[in-house]
Amino acid sequence: MMDKLIFGRFIPGDSFVHRLDPRAKLIFVFAFIFIVFIANNTATYAALLIFTILIILLSRIKLYFLINGLKPILILMAFTFFLHIFFTKEGDILYHWKFITIYEEGLRQGIFISVRFLVLVFVTTVLTLTTSPISITDGMEVLLNPLKKLKLPIHELALMMSISLRFIPTLMDETDKIMKAQTARGSDLTSGPIKERIKAVVPLLVPLFVSAFKRAEDLATAMEVRGYRGGEGRTRYRQLKWHVRDTIAVLSIVVMGAVLIYLRKYS
Amino acid sequence: MTTNVTNVKGRFSAREIAYCGLFATLMMIGANVSSFLVIGGVPITMQTFFAILAGLVLGSRLGTVSMLVYTLLGLVGAPVFAKFSGGFSVILSPTFGFIVTFIMVAYIIGKMVEHSRTKTMYLAAALVGLVINYVFGTTWMYYAYKLWAQAPEGFTYKMAWLWMLPPLPKDIILSIFAGLFALRLRKVIKID
Repeated sequence: MMDKLIFGRFIPGDSFVHRLDPRAKLIFVFAFIFIVFIANNTATYAALLIFTILIILLSRIKLYFLINGLKPILILMAFTFFLHIFFTKEGDILYHWKFITIYEEGLRQGIFISVRFLVLVFVTTVLTLTTSPISITDGMEVLLNPLKKLKLPIHELALMMSISLRFIPTLMDETDKIMKAQTARGSDLTSGPIKERIKAVVPLLVPLFVSAFKRAEDLATAMEVRGYRGGEGRTRYRQLKWHVRDTIAVLSIVVMGAVLIYLRKYS
Repeated sequence: MTTNVTNVKGRFSAREIAYCGLFATLMMIGANVSSFLVIGGVPITMQTFFAILAGLVLGSRLGTVSMLVYTLLGLVGAPVFAKFSGGFSVILSPTFGFIVTFIMVAYIIGKMVEHSRTKTMYLAAALVGLVINYVFGTTWMYYAYKLWAQAPEGFTYKMAWLWMLPPLPKDIILSIFAGLFALRLRKVIKID
């Protein structure tokens, strides 16, 4: 189970993309999500695809990990692709077999929309693969700072996220242990009517909650003892530094946006 | 043990911060409980269960915040959603609506039980939470297919609902269970 978690997301590395400041990467990805929708013809989609491949090459991430990130929306992508192929009835007929007819326009639309999904997923996955959740949280806290004026508890949200991240491995271990302990006592979750099975969940949940609440209480006490009083005047262990390469990254997305607008108009 | 030292108005005390973080983690366990727990061949997720509990136990303010933390964690790339998924691309997935509803569920349920803390209210609130979860989540899923995938007329709202029927009985039972369980949990933790 734990191996799945480590496998899951962040892959430490020392590529250009890895070394970028999390703030730069967040700005980049947010801008990218918007400029993707500028694309509307072959030239623009090709430009997006090349741009994405360049990012992947710079991040030195193995294709396997990217494909893994694709899974959550793979169904949607396949669904979209086939819908457009089978239901769009414009342009020349490319292929005809019994009741299946594939039109040129359908194929074109299907490919365009699939490419759009593909580049979106790849770029967002590169972000989460090259940046640890902790540094994304740090970056987000800084970027969202202006929202503090609206009385939004940005610092507290970031802290809760870090705490939650810290709790994940502990609670997963705990759940695993409790499951094994209750199985050893003869608790059976695999047979009997639904009502009985739900009842069998109780001996799992009660110890899980007891130990989870105890941990939260301990943490709260520790924080209070150390005089935690919100974000004011807090110094940081992890410092964020803005380098020239971060400016380059942000500029590159601006240039890409301009190129897309140009290609959209003149090709 | 349970005094709030820093509970200035609008601020979060250390205890509140710890509990919000904790419930976000419990959501992660709930989402992936199927990897430890297969009930009779049906992999179950207990996200709805924990979202309802968050509303009932933490109340509207902290419950909403803890669900928001969970959503943000997932978007930021921690593998906290079902099947250990996470990352910004999840926002495109048709089932993202269900994750959004957890925030609403916690808020509305919290408001309901803050109004009156009776056993009936706890059970009613839990079921209302489930209804919000299903109705909003399924509608989102339908429109996700409609808008992002530009699905044609052939894909109806009814079809989206047919997909959601199989896990419904288990979720109804779990919701009622959450209502009863929350009553006991309230006695254990004292945050307000």
